[in-house]
Amino acid sequence: MKGRHLYLFGLLVALAGICSTRPAYAQDAHEIKGIVVDSIGQTPLPGVTIVVKGTSNGAATAPTGEFSIRAASNAVLVVSYIGYDRTEVPVGGRTNIRITLSQSKTMLNETVVIGYGAMKKSSVTAAVTKVENTILDQVPAGRPEAALVGRLAGVNISQNRAQPGQAPTIRIRGASSIDAGNEPLVVIDGVPGGNLGMINMNDVQSIEVLKDASSAAIYGSRAAGGVIIVTMKKGSAGKTRFNFNGFAGISKSRLHDDWMTGQEYYDYAVKFQNREWRWANPNADISIPVWGDARRPATYQVNPVLNNGANVIWQDEVMQTAPMQSYNISASGGTEKMTYYVSGTYKDEIGTMKNTWFKSYGVRANVDVKASKAVSIGFMLNPSYSKRRMTDRVMSDFAKIPSFVEVQRPDGTYPRPKDYWGGPVSSQTSPSAILNGTYSYGATFSNVGEAYLKVDLAKGLSLRSSVGSTIAYNNSDFFQTSYALSNFQNNGNDISTSNINMLNENVLSYNTSFRGGHDLSAIAGASYQKNRSKGSYMYAVPNSFVNETIHTLNNAVIDPTKSYTANSAWGLVSYFSRVHYGYKEKYLLSASIRTDGSSRFGANNKWGYFPSASVAWRIKQEDFMKDLHVVSDLKVRGSWGITGNFNIGDFQYLGQIKDAIYSPNNTPIKGQAQSNFENNDLGWEKTRGWDVGIEIGLLKNRIQIVADYYSKRTYDLLYQVTVPASTGFVSGLSNIGDVSNRGFEIELTTRNILQPDFTWQTNFNLAMNKNRVEDLGGVKERISTDGTTQMSWILRVGEPMFSYYGYRTIGVFNDAASLGKYPSLAGTKPGNPIFEDTNGDGFITPADKQLLGNFQPKAILGMVNNFTYRNFDLSIAMQASLGAKMFTYENQFYQGALLGAMRRSIVANQWWSDSETGDGRMPGSALSTLTRQSGSDIYIEDASFLAVRNINLGYTLPDAAFKRLGINSFRAYLSAGNPFIFTKKGFHGYNPEGSTLGEIGGVNSRPGYNSGSEPISRVYAIGFNFNF
Amino acid sequence: MKRIFFSLQALAILIGAAGCHDALLNMKPESILTTTNYFRSSSEMNKAVIGIYSNLQARRMTDYIIMDAPSDNLYMSTNTPIAGAVDLDGLTMNTENNVLGNFWESNYAGIYRANQVLLNIDKPKDYAGNAKNQYIGEAKFLRALLYFDMVRTFGGVPLVTAQVSIEEARAQRRASVDEVYNLIIADLKDAVEKLPPAANMEKGRTSKGAATALLGKVYIYRKDYNNAKEVLNKAVNDFGYNLVPNFATLWDPATEDNSETVFAVKYVESVNGQTLSTAFIPNGGVYGIVERGVETALPSWSLNKRYVAGDTRKAKTITDWLVTPTAPNDPPTFYPYVSKYANKHLYNTSGLDLPVMRFAEVLLLQSEALYHSGDKGGALTALNRVRERAFAGTSHNYTATDIANANDFLDKLLLERQLELAFEGDRWYDLVRTGKYLTVMTQEERLYVPANNAAETVTLSPQSYMTVFPIPQRQADQYDPGVMDQNEGYKK
Repeated sequence: MKGRHLYLFGLLVALAGICSTRPAYAQDAHEIKGIVVDSIGQTPLPGVTIVVKGTSNGAATAPTGEFSIRAASNAVLVVSYIGYDRTEVPVGGRTNIRITLSQSKTMLNETVVIGYGAMKKSSVTAAVTKVENTILDQVPAGRPEAALVGRLAGVNISQNRAQPGQAPTIRIRGASSIDAGNEPLVVIDGVPGGNLGMINMNDVQSIEVLKDASSAAIYGSRAAGGVIIVTMKKGSAGKTRFNFNGFAGISKSRLHDDWMTGQEYYDYAVKFQNREWRWANPNADISIPVWGDARRPATYQVNPVLNNGANVIWQDEVMQTAPMQSYNISASGGTEKMTYYVSGTYKDEIGTMKNTWFKSYGVRANVDVKASKAVSIGFMLNPSYSKRRMTDRVMSDFAKIPSFVEVQRPDGTYPRPKDYWGGPVSSQTSPSAILNGTYSYGATFSNVGEAYLKVDLAKGLSLRSSVGSTIAYNNSDFFQTSYALSNFQNNGNDISTSNINMLNENVLSYNTSFRGGHDLSAIAGASYQKNRSKGSYMYAVPNSFVNETIHTLNNAVIDPTKSYTANSAWGLVSYFSRVHYGYKEKYLLSASIRTDGSSRFGANNKWGYFPSASVAWRIKQEDFMKDLHVVSDLKVRGSWGITGNFNIGDFQYLGQIKDAIYSPNNTPIKGQAQSNFENNDLGWEKTRGWDVGIEIGLLKNRIQIVADYYSKRTYDLLYQVTVPASTGFVSGLSNIGDVSNRGFEIELTTRNILQPDFTWQTNFNLAMNKNRVEDLGGVKERISTDGTTQMSWILRVGEPMFSYYGYRTIGVFNDAASLGKYPSLAGTKPGNPIFEDTNGDGFITPADKQLLGNFQPKAILGMVNNFTYRNFDLSIAMQASLGAKMFTYENQFYQGALLGAMRRSIVANQWWSDSETGDGRMPGSALSTLTRQSGSDIYIEDASFLAVRNINLGYTLPDAAFKRLGINSFRAYLSAGNPFIFTKKGFHGYNPEGSTLGEIGGVNSRPGYNSGSEPISRVYAIGFNFNF
Repeated sequence: MKRIFFSLQALAILIGAAGCHDALLNMKPESILTTTNYFRSSSEMNKAVIGIYSNLQARRMTDYIIMDAPSDNLYMSTNTPIAGAVDLDGLTMNTENNVLGNFWESNYAGIYRANQVLLNIDKPKDYAGNAKNQYIGEAKFLRALLYFDMVRTFGGVPLVTAQVSIEEARAQRRASVDEVYNLIIADLKDAVEKLPPAANMEKGRTSKGAATALLGKVYIYRKDYNNAKEVLNKAVNDFGYNLVPNFATLWDPATEDNSETVFAVKYVESVNGQTLSTAFIPNGGVYGIVERGVETALPSWSLNKRYVAGDTRKAKTITDWLVTPTAPNDPPTFYPYVSKYANKHLYNTSGLDLPVMRFAEVLLLQSEALYHSGDKGGALTALNRVRERAFAGTSHNYTATDIANANDFLDKLLLERQLELAFEGDRWYDLVRTGKYLTVMTQEERLYVPANNAAETVTLSPQSYMTVFPIPQRQADQYDPGVMDQNEGYKK
């Protein structure tokens, strides 16, 4: 693998030589070196554009702020950088120039992209948070979201599953919808509706998050989950600049280290069987030998094979240390008339779980042309392809296999526990057989594309009209060999789906200023969107593959009752307008209105209206603040707005007739039956929210604070309200119910040390969110109970959505004598947990169940520290999550059930007998008492954690050595992903963010349920980034 | 200024709206049928009738949890816990019972489908021959069957025969038991009228004979023995039903459609199979049957010990000695499991049909009807027909002295029903309708250990109110306050 990297590297160096043929310059042109620094902190500024005036000859500064350019000694350099005043610097015969840039007017003057436009950050009246891509593309992770973790206040990105290529869950200011999804709207270069998996972080300029209702309302229809705006890199005038970024590394999982084997395992297996027997028959004589004595029922025997096995720790067997690599190359440049940016990327991640991987390939092109004085046109294309191999299993399916089972027998077969003993051990297939015999692939081709025409109609007035599309083709191929399945029936399917979203947007923009300090800008627009989706679902009849060499369905019989194709579509029509008014840049006012019509809603309620308003007062601009030098900036703002949500399936308001199969004469035929309620009144789910914020800069902006308090209420919830079954259905989708989220966020940026040789900057953020069910359409609560575990999830007015609901344990019944001391469920035996009799009626009944915590964290903290020392730079990104509870049902698999693998930390502390009563909290845990432990708080664990998500150490080589190769800058870096994760004592999962049944997605959601989310990977990588 | 923007917006609307607007907002589903475009032809009505069977098919495979587990036939294994099942098994069920909740909801979904057929039956104009009558008969038969299961399980329930709005449903009180039975009897009478004989029906669909037999069973539950006698005599004599000589024939997919089938729910392995066969198989599987089992429930010793030597039904009802697929040559382990539905099948998708009514039961019902309407000789003959098949001869036939009084007859009849119909969904209802559950269910013998010559015995506390189970709380909560009365004994 290493050889290949060197090869690639060599290839790129060679390419660099070919591509950087130098244009001829004026005779007296010579090389000029320099550095660009910030006027206040004297910190180097990376990425500053420098162009020789009157030519297309340009350069950009390296991360160290340094640049070099060829220019005549009488030339003038034009230096520009976002958020800073454009400066012209005469060369004046110098060969080494130090250029100082001043931030334009105020420190907070960087540009912020908002919906349908950009504005100065100082003028923004709403809660918008932004992260620039400085080293985000150097975080070693398969998906781009991982780089953002901990950097954006109020944006919770959690990786619930750790398989390569798996999308994380993103929640902005909490979840509010029950049935209609809580995903934020992703807008990629103005095209809404994509996802972050479609882009390559190397191409990203910045990411803005519109958090409050007023900023998001301009995207009214789908903005209830917040809006993530991704701004991609564009070319700028100047000679062609190439950038290469690549890294390669290895990942290794964070695993458990307390598995029991050999004699220790056997001893607990004996205890387990004796306990089971005693429970079934209190008079059982457990002194009867555990093996070979007919007086002991077969169910309660222990085969000596348990003590004479292979001592395989299956967790270790299925995991591996795996390589990861990523390469990206881009070229950008242009002239005054035309600019371009093109890039290509390749990423290859092998999973830490065997037989899993993720590969992605992407190309991006951006071209902007100024066709005439008044007309500009442009387009972007971003096709990408990714493919992954995954497993459809959870970690516990593998890790629970007991250690006496060998990996593979000499004859090549994979033995199961049952092959060693016909007794009460698992008959599940060997993990190795499952992983080697399952061919589960997912492939996605996607493209985000847009072409636009922009016409300047008059001074300050322009029209931008665009046609965009987001296309995604997904295919999953699945094949399982007979040996991978416990029924030995080979199996396969092939599912293809496509989604084509076409969008036309027309936006008129107007900007003007009036005498006396009045600034006005406004937009009005119309948007038409059509989405067509198509799916083809083909399933093989089990065991119908003629042989196992060919895995596609031409080698099998297609199952007629399961296979089908289906088309669907939705349409959205929107009109919107926004006015922004500022007086002397002191008083700022913004208002918008958007109206959306959706085909997804009933005839009576297709249209929704989404207004917003916001104000800001820049107090620092007032005369009375002039002399208060300690305060360098001060702004207060407030906003209000309404956003919407229509993320339900298509045509849900209609009474749909679906298949209902039955087999008269032994021939399956598709009968038909109505599958849902008809509801012609179905309409928009809406979220109404307000936000107040303050932005403070102190000590020449050495300290910057942004703090927000918000409150939002989602109402007319698209909610499957329960109805009497005598209507024919148990629930019906309606606009009923309210959910609120209130919270506080603070972002603190401090420039702690600003020395020429050494700088230290800290970005800290904290977000606290409180989620609350406000109304459920008349009923006070709705409980959904998981059949197997008897754990319930409750929606209760006044409490966070989907809190765990079950019995609280207050100890364990230690012996027969203690049974009468506390009320208990019928059939309680020694070793069972004591449940709290909440209502004190002397009985344990369902009325004694209580709230046992919630999967949502109470607070999320992020901190990024950036250091530079001479040519070294170091960035450390940390994240902490506090107060989330997880239902670690996975523990149950490692406590002795079916004499599977056992973990010391949850086995040794159990109640084993009257004389070995354990730690007083962990009951005797077995399948036969399953619901007593799983229906209580025994498996509810505190999933708080502190994680160092990324450490990136870079060294920028002094440039002299590379000039001859045409390289402008060269940075080498070491990057570590997830190097340290600290969880609470008493937490037993592999991943504190793990969950295996998803998050909120309907009334029967089981968020926080974890039956074996994969271990988190630690990644260590080395990378190079250079410009030429 | 504002005016300008609104006029700009109006302009945009004018430009874009003309063509786009309606097409985007009023889309028609391409791949989904809806209530607005369905029920238009005889063929569509046929599919809608199939939809009702589909509802029953999905439910039937878990009926044993309500119909057999509470009785002395079966106990729930700890191997695969099913929420609520242990409480039914131990007679400790409460209003939160998940199994009862599912049962209630499933039955009303089926009743809705039947009602939709009946409400839309006049829409198609292309019925050929007797098709319309057949669909009416099938819908009414199935609606009656679902209400019969409801009334036996919960007592009176809201009686729905039309499409009801949510508001109407929330306000609808429980009908009395009599009212529910009146509808069941009326539906079945009409079904008998309208349905063709089995020869003209596809296998797995009901028929005139099946409706007649079910009506007879309903009369027995009503203790209306005169009507029962009349109807059951017809069921025995008029439709060509007969016992198959070998009991095992009934439980083989190859011979599942036979002269004894009155009404069975059809399943097809792998594509439309049932899970019951696997549910009863021990965790490790059974050699020659299936590689592993789910083992939700195991046969109790209370039932097992009642099969006497020579009863051919025993082997095809309970297998005592387990041979696992992993060690077929090892000596078998004593591990009794329900083998009535154990045929070679794919895990969790067996093609073996599940009978709802078969001729042996019709005979036993007839015997009951005849006894109580004074024809003791006829009752004996019908009872002995079932025994003769079981013992392959007359050696174990009862004589008139064996059924000298009503109690003797009841004991013999219930025993025969238990042995013949074990795990077919009748035992609990039989114990309830005869009041016997109060004495029979005080204890249950479960796991038997041959080396100890003893079975592990559990003590149970059957109560008089347990003739019906609690109304599921999650459904009761959907009604307007005070509308849904809870059954006595289960009130909080």
